[in-house]
Amino acid sequence: MPLHLKESEIIERAALLPAFPTVVNDILETLDDENAAMGALIQLVERDPVITARVLSIANAAVMAGRTQRDLRDMQVAVSLIGLSKLREIVLAVSLAKFSRESGMGSHFWEHSIAVGVAAQELSRIGHCSRDFALVCGLLHDIGQLWMARCHPLEFQMVRMSMEQAPDLDILDAEIWHFGLDHCTIGRLLGTAWHLPAPVIAAIQHHHDAHPPADKLIAVTHLGEAVVNALNIDSHNHASVRHVSATACDVLGIDWNDDFNFLFGRIEARSRNLARIFG
Amino acid sequence: MKQRLRYLPLNELAEGMVLGASLTIAEHGVTNFALPAGHVLTEDNLCQIARRGGEFACIAEEDPRSDEDRAAELAAHAAQLQRIFANADMERPAVAGLHAAVLAYRSL
Repeated sequence: MPLHLKESEIIERAALLPAFPTVVNDILETLDDENAAMGALIQLVERDPVITARVLSIANAAVMAGRTQRDLRDMQVAVSLIGLSKLREIVLAVSLAKFSRESGMGSHFWEHSIAVGVAAQELSRIGHCSRDFALVCGLLHDIGQLWMARCHPLEFQMVRMSMEQAPDLDILDAEIWHFGLDHCTIGRLLGTAWHLPAPVIAAIQHHHDAHPPADKLIAVTHLGEAVVNALNIDSHNHASVRHVSATACDVLGIDWNDDFNFLFGRIEARSRNLARIFG
Repeated sequence: MKQRLRYLPLNELAEGMVLGASLTIAEHGVTNFALPAGHVLTEDNLCQIARRGGEFACIAEEDPRSDEDRAAELAAHAAQLQRIFANADMERPAVAGLHAAVLAYRSL
């Protein structure tokens, strides 16, 4: 029996999800002030012992690869070794990986999110927009599916089965049939409830649009997912490219006649590297 | 023997591999580490890449595939791309452009 969910029910049932990591909002709010950001970021990280341990472990791995005989236990030293922007990236990925794991999603969901995060970051270089915002947009673009899987696992599975039976079916149509709403709308509602920045919410909402609004973060998320699916990075048997927005290409200044071999290589290699670290 | 380029993550790089493209690592827009294309990676290079947050490198290596193997592999990639783009309108330049760019990458 298909559900006919109302928007208000999405927020009510979001209580079934683990608490959204507020460190994500905190980081995005302090991006513009590099000096204030370092002390603030260290304080934020140290509030959560699980994230602290994970960040130090990743920093240690980098140091060990450098064959330095040190054991990092201090966040200040970790920052000095791995750099502030890298630390920010690690904290964002670690906290959202923890959220995804605690939500009970399979590894495929997270690997796809990481790949789209990396692709969005790489495209942000071309479009000259914030790398950190691009990473968060990519990591969270399918957050509505996480809600669906957690709150209505049976219907979520039925969407998957519908897609297997009719591969030409648009996933948004299948979701609307079974849920009454699609994962982009649910993601928008969750992002609003979690007080995510408006540009991140817009990217989550419009990443599947055939004609998304002309905005750089929406463009890197939309094209990031198209590139990841075209490259079949997460080896998903059902990877599909349905729309590649000309507006998104124009907004970022992408001309497909250029040589994209290095960019695609970068995206594939970095996705594998980060999936290994944060998987 | 022909050469091919591969993009490898940090943990798959090894001493003795040859860079297929220059490797640069930058922070805040300033390059703080660079190696030229053709450079043979040393153990020390690998440590420095890791310490400076490098995540991957483009490697040039001998391609052991025959022409037939290469053609068969490319045909398999083309078939996979056809399936992935089955629901897209290939008449649209942006769609066709991404498709062509990925096929060119798979031809490396």
